[in-house]
Amino acid sequence: MGVVTVWSFQVPDAVGFQRPELARIFFWHFPCPLLLTGLLFVGSYFSFRHLVRVQGFRVESETDNRERQLWDIRAVAALELGFVFCVLTMITGILFSLVQWGVWWQWDPRQTSFLLAMLVYGAYFALRTAFTDPEKRAANSAAYMLAAVLPLIFLIFVYPRLPQVEQASFHPTQSIMKGQIKGAYAQVVSAVIILTTILSVWLYRLRVRAGTLELLAEDYGQLETHGGHPAPTGVVRPVSLSDPH
Amino acid sequence: MSSGWKAEILAVYRKELQTELRSKSGLVTAGLFSFVTVVTISLVLFNKNVNAPGSGLQDISAGLVWVVILFASILNLPRTFLLEEEQGTADLLRLFARPHAVYWGKVLFNILQVLGTATLVSVLFLGFTGTRVSVPWIYVVSLIGGSCSMAGAVTLCGAIVAQAANRAALAGAIAVPLLLPLVQLGVTGMRAAFGSGLVGGGQAAAVGLVAYAAIMLAIGPWIYAAIWKT
Amino acid sequence: MREALRALSLPAERTAAPPRIESAKGFAHSQKGLLLFVLRVEGLGKRYESRWIFRGLAFSLGAGDRLVVLGRNGAGKSTLLRTLAGLVQPSEGRVELPPEPRRSLGFSGLEQALYPQLTVDEHLNLAAELRDCDARADELLDQVELAYARELPASKLSTGMKARLKLALAIQPRPQVLLLDEPGASLDEQGRGIVEAVCAEQASRGCLIVATNDPTERRLANLELRLES
Repeated sequence: MGVVTVWSFQVPDAVGFQRPELARIFFWHFPCPLLLTGLLFVGSYFSFRHLVRVQGFRVESETDNRERQLWDIRAVAALELGFVFCVLTMITGILFSLVQWGVWWQWDPRQTSFLLAMLVYGAYFALRTAFTDPEKRAANSAAYMLAAVLPLIFLIFVYPRLPQVEQASFHPTQSIMKGQIKGAYAQVVSAVIILTTILSVWLYRLRVRAGTLELLAEDYGQLETHGGHPAPTGVVRPVSLSDPH
Repeated sequence: MSSGWKAEILAVYRKELQTELRSKSGLVTAGLFSFVTVVTISLVLFNKNVNAPGSGLQDISAGLVWVVILFASILNLPRTFLLEEEQGTADLLRLFARPHAVYWGKVLFNILQVLGTATLVSVLFLGFTGTRVSVPWIYVVSLIGGSCSMAGAVTLCGAIVAQAANRAALAGAIAVPLLLPLVQLGVTGMRAAFGSGLVGGGQAAAVGLVAYAAIMLAIGPWIYAAIWKT
Repeated sequence: MREALRALSLPAERTAAPPRIESAKGFAHSQKGLLLFVLRVEGLGKRYESRWIFRGLAFSLGAGDRLVVLGRNGAGKSTLLRTLAGLVQPSEGRVELPPEPRRSLGFSGLEQALYPQLTVDEHLNLAAELRDCDARADELLDQVELAYARELPASKLSTGMKARLKLALAIQPRPQVLLLDEPGASLDEQGRGIVEAVCAEQASRGCLIVATNDPTERRLANLELRLES
């Protein structure tokens, strides 16, 4: 991380920017929306797997309870991380906009798309806090994520590419395709992308491990009821009407 | 669709219609909200020529119409599921019905509600503000497509939050992010209908709204079936 | 750690269980195709957050079995019945019911509400349309002695009248499994007589499970399950 940061300051200043020396924020801004988008769809896939079991080509709506809980942990891990990158996207984008154009918000279509994506994330986490029952929390938040996939695809991939919207956008859409990022800049951008991806995977795995340990801690030990007594269970036996109970 | 499914869906739809017509609480809420909001907006636009080209008021009008429809829908549509949980009648449906039939019956009822609200808002807004519709078919298709999309999305959000704490406010909060893309399409369509935007853009937006509605209504029952007995 | 309990006391003639084949829907038949059980529960448990309501329940009920579930307040009787009815997902284990539970299962619960704006008749017709079965409104209303109130909306019914309507809704499809949660709680002596008659009739159709705090309702059953810590 330190090496890449130092490297990013070593490359020559960017050409064509108002404050070329500060355009370096682009190195850290560029990977964030890529990761946020990736984690969003990964989280949606895990949400799908939580709700249904795919066995061969059959889709069944009943799954083993433990398996469902694990898919929920994975979904939450991916989406929490995605939210972090969403916030970083907004912060680095605002800084860049302030530096380059002198305003921190100008309703750029891509900026707006990711703001709306942040609203979806916020709604997801708000929904999770509204359920005390963990099974309902997991199932309903997974359902919301699946319902949000279509609007998210529209916001991230379709809306910014609409002709009238693309013209109004400050974000270049073809900078990589047309080879505008090249040389040392391309190398630094690639290095930061690889670095942040590795960091994401590591953080994701840590989060999943923490969630799994929480599950195991809940299950381990004595059965509990209110007051610390073991859970009711029973034996079916014939009724005896002389029984004093 | 077999006659069994049709009968079940119609039974749920009829039940919704009967209970709403007898209680009238949803009709009154949506109707009053629409009326008051449109009158307030019309007061703001008083004495302004909203049809003047280049004034930007046509764009604002397009946005205002959709804002009113959006909030009237968020106020009313989630009630179909929220009320079942609040009344304690959700178990009756879980015992007697299949999830797809329940969802479709309620969505059909909500489509009727939204179309009614959208028609009322349109008549009041166009009447009070004098806004001229230059391309009527784009206006109608945008309204119908947008209403169906809204019904699908908000109904599903209502089903998702039905058993949550603070469900009434939460339904609106989680529905808005899903509805903003369709509002954007709706505004684009309506701008074209009012003569401010490009007709081609309006056509694309209208088609987009119909496609959005089709997809939301297609995936909604499956998502609902996965959560309805949790 | 408590072990899952599997004992089921059956009348002597059923103690030897013939070999069985699991059907695709988990509904067991013997090799001769005879129905062995109507309802089967394996390792059933339900918890809310870290609190287990019940755990490790396992039993099977055949046609003619009438089970009463006993326990103090908060023991989990209602939760058990709601889990068996499929209104609540179990946290572990499984419940095997006859196919098409909309028609093969009837449930009447204390907390079950009715649509305030719909009349008694409309409730029965709605249930019949959703379940795709015969409404039998006249027959059922005579059976539960509610014919005089058929045009009344549910908001105008007394608690006892609502209990009778819920009973009628539960038995409408002639279910193989009938679950009643404290059926006599809001009923007068006449109403309790109706419940007894329904329970007796159920024995010829399938199995019955009654959850109750009333010790006199134990005589409705031939088997009992006591939920206790």
